[in-house]
Amino acid sequence: MTRMTGAAALVAAFAAFSPGPLLAQTAAKPAPSAAGPWVPAKLSDGQPDVQGYWTAGGTVEVNGEEEQTRGGTYSITGGPLGGGGEQEVIDNYKLAQQGKPLPSWPSKVVDPSDGQIPYQPWAQAKQKYIEANVDHATKQEHLDPQERCFLDGPIRDTFHYEFKIEQYPGYVLILHEGYRLIPLDGRPHPDSAIKLWNSDSRGHWEGNTLVVDVANSNSKGRLDRAGNFASDKVHIVERYIFSGPNAFTYQATVEDPTVYTRPWTVSTKIIRTHLKEPDYEKWEDECWEHERNIKELSAEIEQAAHAKTSGKAHPPQGAQP
Amino acid sequence: MRSFASTVWLSLIASAALTAAAHAQDLARTPDGHPDLSGIWQVITPAGQDLSAHAARKDSPAHLGAVVGGDIPYQPWALAKKAENFKNRETQDPQNKCFMAGVPRITYTPLPFQILQKDKQLTVLYEYVHSVRTIYTNGTDHPPGHIDWFLGDSRGHWDGDTLVVDVVDFNDETWLDHAGDFHSDQLHVVERYKPIDKDHIQYDASVEDPKVFTRPWTVSVVLYRRIEPGVQLLENECYTFDYEKFYP
Repeated sequence: MTRMTGAAALVAAFAAFSPGPLLAQTAAKPAPSAAGPWVPAKLSDGQPDVQGYWTAGGTVEVNGEEEQTRGGTYSITGGPLGGGGEQEVIDNYKLAQQGKPLPSWPSKVVDPSDGQIPYQPWAQAKQKYIEANVDHATKQEHLDPQERCFLDGPIRDTFHYEFKIEQYPGYVLILHEGYRLIPLDGRPHPDSAIKLWNSDSRGHWEGNTLVVDVANSNSKGRLDRAGNFASDKVHIVERYIFSGPNAFTYQATVEDPTVYTRPWTVSTKIIRTHLKEPDYEKWEDECWEHERNIKELSAEIEQAAHAKTSGKAHPPQGAQP
Repeated sequence: MRSFASTVWLSLIASAALTAAAHAQDLARTPDGHPDLSGIWQVITPAGQDLSAHAARKDSPAHLGAVVGGDIPYQPWALAKKAENFKNRETQDPQNKCFMAGVPRITYTPLPFQILQKDKQLTVLYEYVHSVRTIYTNGTDHPPGHIDWFLGDSRGHWDGDTLVVDVVDFNDETWLDHAGDFHSDQLHVVERYKPIDKDHIQYDASVEDPKVFTRPWTVSVVLYRRIEPGVQLLENECYTFDYEKFYP
């Protein structure tokens, strides 16, 4: 149904030109302020109230100062194609057209310290294969599932622009273009035979940190456009570390012994958005229904495959900004 | 002459009204005193296959009908289009393409949905393609202008213990069932969620569309609470099924 917005489609189309200005990255652990830890308002069931709109890619005024944050739009391991919001994609498209160098992005992977995902050799080769083909698809499997409007799944859904948090007694609800409903009552994950695009989430609060245990992934989605991936054996522990009213640190530790040599952790800063629009409403997103025509996509792939075998230049892909 | 099906439905509605009065005091309530509709709900009816009374056939079990009064009051041209839709339903039903289902069809699509409720809004999560509706109960009106949405714009208020939801801003791309019943972008739906007891809701949706129907008409189904231990929403991302083989 409702995957990629117009802005996101633009990002995907120009992901190759999508780094943004180099900005300081948030450390994995929030620094307590001099005034002591943040004391949030509490909801009727005792949860810290963290409701509202949040984004991994934008600008917000925090304590009178503008703060910026960036998602890992293209690759969570950074590099020249590391991140950027909609405006940065447009800016960098212009830079690229002028032949100017594009700024580089630090990795969002904070452990291991080299910022790289500790793949097993076969898995590293698979990631490289996906990345090499994603912008020049000649086979159905080359296409980023997100481009087909399929659900992002955990981690990518956090990096993929704006989301809304609603809280209800016993639940945290995260509304992306789909939703993740996180029960807080300690119930176990469903049978491991159940594999889901959005996985299954179970949460609890540790002070001002929401800890979410994620399992039951169908592993068909990717962690970013650069082809970083996990298997359906993956186990993710997310930590939403709220240190103040308008920003939090998102941390996800990813464990999958069938793909990696050790667990690894990705982290990014998330900031509030629509702060000055108290009446802002999240309206209907659609994607599968209109924005992506699967027959056209398939035809493009066949055309590209034909051009490749007949030695013609690869046709340009994507729309203009 | 009143049909058998409509007689059954009218008596069901009458008995539901009596039951609701009898059990009103047993309902869970939110701090502001309204019935708490939170929970996972699902219909037990083939209404999503065909709203009208029909015998069993390949694509549907038999059904007593969910249209109050029995007949959908189509304008003549629209009746012909409905017949054409029926003939081509396997290829033309938007739900067979996994499009968002529209209102009220999303309610009687035979998959569970979960209502989350607070004082200024209800959020409804549907297992079918991760659809989400926000029903605002904060006194706001529909946004200005016509907007083409699959699930429309929902503004609700409480009429006693009944949640009344006014829904407009639809596109003309959804059907009301698999049998080709359809509407235009002028569709205006008024849903009434009336608790029968703590585990049942009488759901009536009036359907008005001056481009397609001669008068407003009403769909009536019962929502059943899913009470199995550990029950939760899963996924039905049916648009991915044909492509999952590319992502082993």
